[in-house]
Amino acid sequence: MDLTRIDKRIIYLLLLLAVAIPLLTKLELPVNVGPQTEKVFEAIEEIPAGSHIIVSFDIEASSLPEVQPVAEAMIRHTFGRDLRIVGLALFSEGTAIGYNMLSSIAQEFGKEYGEHYIYLGFRPQYVSAILGMGEDINSVFPLDYMNDDWTEYPAFAKVRNYSDISLVLSIADGSLPTYWVEYAGSRYHQKIVTGLTAVMATSYYPYTESGQLVGMVGGLKGAAEYEKLLGYVGGGQRGMLAQSSGHLLIILVVCIANIAAWRKRR
Amino acid sequence: MEKETLMEIGTFTALVLTLLIFSFLYKENPFYRFAEYLLVGISVGYYLVIICRNTIYPLVIDKLFVQGELLVLVPTALGCLMFVRLKKKWAYLSRLPLALMIGFGAGISIPAMLQARILKQMSASMQSLLTVNGVVILIGVTSTIAYFYFSKRQEGMFGRFTQLGTYFLMVFFGATFGYTVMSRISLLIGRLEFVLRDAFGIIS
Repeated sequence: MDLTRIDKRIIYLLLLLAVAIPLLTKLELPVNVGPQTEKVFEAIEEIPAGSHIIVSFDIEASSLPEVQPVAEAMIRHTFGRDLRIVGLALFSEGTAIGYNMLSSIAQEFGKEYGEHYIYLGFRPQYVSAILGMGEDINSVFPLDYMNDDWTEYPAFAKVRNYSDISLVLSIADGSLPTYWVEYAGSRYHQKIVTGLTAVMATSYYPYTESGQLVGMVGGLKGAAEYEKLLGYVGGGQRGMLAQSSGHLLIILVVCIANIAAWRKRR
Repeated sequence: MEKETLMEIGTFTALVLTLLIFSFLYKENPFYRFAEYLLVGISVGYYLVIICRNTIYPLVIDKLFVQGELLVLVPTALGCLMFVRLKKKWAYLSRLPLALMIGFGAGISIPAMLQARILKQMSASMQSLLTVNGVVILIGVTSTIAYFYFSKRQEGMFGRFTQLGTYFLMVFFGATFGYTVMSRISLLIGRLEFVLRDAFGIIS
């Protein structure tokens, strides 16, 4: 049997089994918390209760399975710390996703719309939107997602620009955190953290090392770490065994294919 | 219709579409293509609705007709000029808003990118050479940049130095590939969790 030419459908099937079987078991792997996740956790812990933070849903539906556990853990933390959330979306697909996620977690924590959180919806041209919010958030988002005047909510009436925002949390699956760093961070000295897909993580390490990003929570592993810090088991920790067995299978397939290719050449 | 029934219909639709998309793993087929076209169509439709409801209404209609801000007519007219491209005779008029956008974009982004992506990154890479990290960063940054210097033939000492840069690049590619694998498996886990928990109720 030529192992360098395995039918890829066999590999797909093996991968399906490697991921599905651990999901059927209730085993959990121990999780070690990394420094990046810890930095994000600490940054949120340091914010006094009642402060306002921006949660920007810069995501598309296709990355939701990976980003959702990250976003949920971070939003749970902010609601748990009694911070007030200004939600918005800079990708159109993130609009409804963000609203649903915020309102369902708010309900879980007994938080009220207008008192503990608001949702401003989507604005195109993210560079203009990020820059505009540095001057006046109301001019960029005059009405909220429900087309109501959000400045009429007393808890948010005094929020004018980044000087009233303690932290920006960009939930992202692309390059949006870079724009937050470039325009809100560099120009307005806004503190920024990000929760993003693992595939984007390597691109953002330079920004965390330089201090332009306070920290980041990357992928399902990051979500599992954050859940551990918060002390609950969510999508991140539940998926860790499946993630690890999937990785093991891929390492195995790569090794077998390389050894087979090497033997074939000889 | 009751909320629970709607939820059940939604879950069933999502399950069917998930299976249609997964059928591509066996081979390309019309069911997969149907689901793919559906995704593209729904995405565009959703984008249009969100733009109309969440952008055009609050920024144009509300401001113009409810608040009476006539200044809104200027950006609205510029935006409308973009569409005159559809008529060849008037197409030249669309250059005005395009020129404004390009000028504004370049003016805003060049200094911001210089500051955030180059100057800040350069200062972050200048660390004490008394630490191992500092030395590794110095060698890594200089040898990788040297690899992309094409005005000198990469041979001799310089060639060996640039080759060192390729090793740093390979470490980066390896790390990125590892993260990509992790990302894709996470997506599969998410979908399988949906199928096993939400659709079939096999796991809690």
